[in-house]
Amino acid sequence: MEDHTYSVSEITRLLKKSIEGNPEFTSVWIKGELSNVTYHSSGHIYFTLKDEQAVLSSAFFKYANKGLSFRLEEGMSVLSLGSFTVYEKRGSYQFIVAQMRLEGIGELLKRIEQLKKKLLDEGALDPARKKVKPFLPRRLGVVTSPTGAAIRDIIKVAMRRFPNIEIVLAPAKVQGADAAVSIIRGIEELNRPVHSIDVIICGRGGGSFEDLLPFNEEAVVRSILASRVPVISAVGHQIDHPLSDDAADYAAPTPSAAAEIAVPMKSELTAEIDYLSIRAQTALSSRMAYLSNMLSGIAGLRCFRNPREIVTMRELSLVDLEQKMTSALKDRVAAGRQRLLALPDLYRLWRTETRGRRSRLDVAWGAVEKLSPRGVLRRGYSLATDTRGRIIKSVRTVKPGEAIGVALADGSMGCTVNTIQREVRGGKEDAGKGKTKL
Amino acid sequence: MEKKTPAKGKPSFEKALEELEKIAEKLEDGSLGLEGSIAEFERGSRLARYCREKLDEAERRIEILQKGEDGTIEKRAVRVKPDTGEIDDDEDLQGSLL
Repeated sequence: MEDHTYSVSEITRLLKKSIEGNPEFTSVWIKGELSNVTYHSSGHIYFTLKDEQAVLSSAFFKYANKGLSFRLEEGMSVLSLGSFTVYEKRGSYQFIVAQMRLEGIGELLKRIEQLKKKLLDEGALDPARKKVKPFLPRRLGVVTSPTGAAIRDIIKVAMRRFPNIEIVLAPAKVQGADAAVSIIRGIEELNRPVHSIDVIICGRGGGSFEDLLPFNEEAVVRSILASRVPVISAVGHQIDHPLSDDAADYAAPTPSAAAEIAVPMKSELTAEIDYLSIRAQTALSSRMAYLSNMLSGIAGLRCFRNPREIVTMRELSLVDLEQKMTSALKDRVAAGRQRLLALPDLYRLWRTETRGRRSRLDVAWGAVEKLSPRGVLRRGYSLATDTRGRIIKSVRTVKPGEAIGVALADGSMGCTVNTIQREVRGGKEDAGKGKTKL
Repeated sequence: MEKKTPAKGKPSFEKALEELEKIAEKLEDGSLGLEGSIAEFERGSRLARYCREKLDEAERRIEILQKGEDGTIEKRAVRVKPDTGEIDDDEDLQGSLL
């Protein structure tokens, strides 16, 4: 068979068969660095994998790269799983990638760290730049995948807390090559005044480090920083939080937690309003009760209850006085006569008698005067009442430190008893007796 | 950053609630006269009513944005179960801004 010659296509077909049929060249993992990355409009990605000594032309077709969670970039170190094919028309062999993983995670982390440092140096992550979300948002914007669990969790939590909340979802891709663009579009759209969004939740449920990469991308981070509407970053993560958390005005560990931050509990707020209203009502009505007690204490005085009594009393005392005067005059005349008859004994007798009566009369007048509340209060006296509005008639009924009300002619005061001094029985007792005798 | 008041002349819900609390405290400490107490109480009642109105201002509405053929963005309703907030029909949750 040595003299057998092959045509180009024959030998190529053989090569193709031996390469593509060889299990050693199917489903192999290859480690290499990306270069000449081309995203084709058809959705396919073409690139070469290389190391120090060799290059390998590779294709990552649309059907396979659909689930890719990061964007291929020059110099990225990747692990690719795939198989070889021979492209006869060009006489070349190609590595067809089925799956790809980032190899240099350490490298990526370093890049994220560098980006964070850059943002910090710029002052972009300054806490003073953080926007304050409204306490009571009316419209909540959400940038996340329409198909993921995150949006469902957010709607459920938000509606449970505030049944009449308004939610606008800007559907976004949260992983894959165009995730960044789509997240940025969502944030920008929700910032348009036409949507009247009060606060934006931007995020996704938990995922692998690669899955969360869009939230570490500079463009996404910058669009969060530029948002006029306050942003809550809500990227499910276990250990390292993405840069979107640093850039956002609020950061939540999960989408549900973000909904809790964004939306207050309506029932709690209603209860708070009710509680404060009741407190205000109770305070006002107990104050009214205290004042009206005090008033009824004053009004309860005999003179207020029956104002006619004052007149009657005065009339009576006038009559009384007249009689007394008449009789005093009579007495005097009689006494004069007696005196004429029996000086000096009778004179003395008369004098004692009259003086006693006169002083009793004065006292009676005083008592009548005192009954007039105008007189009492206007003359500078005051009326002390206890907390239940009863008039304090004796120091024995109050204790130091007790609160009392004091009514004056033109108003009232709330006072506290400092000291108590008991008065020795004296003139007042006499006054009492005088009044009863009249 | 400075907090913006949402509507001209009207206090934010939070401010109104704080104010209401201050009024309750003032009424409780009894430092106001009778006329003052009544005036403050009336102001408190107005604030409470305002807060309640604020809470009922929003109307439950879940919407998804969708980029139309001509590039304009339109809104579509997402139907949810009012008691649980579960999505009625997953078909409603479809759309893209790209």
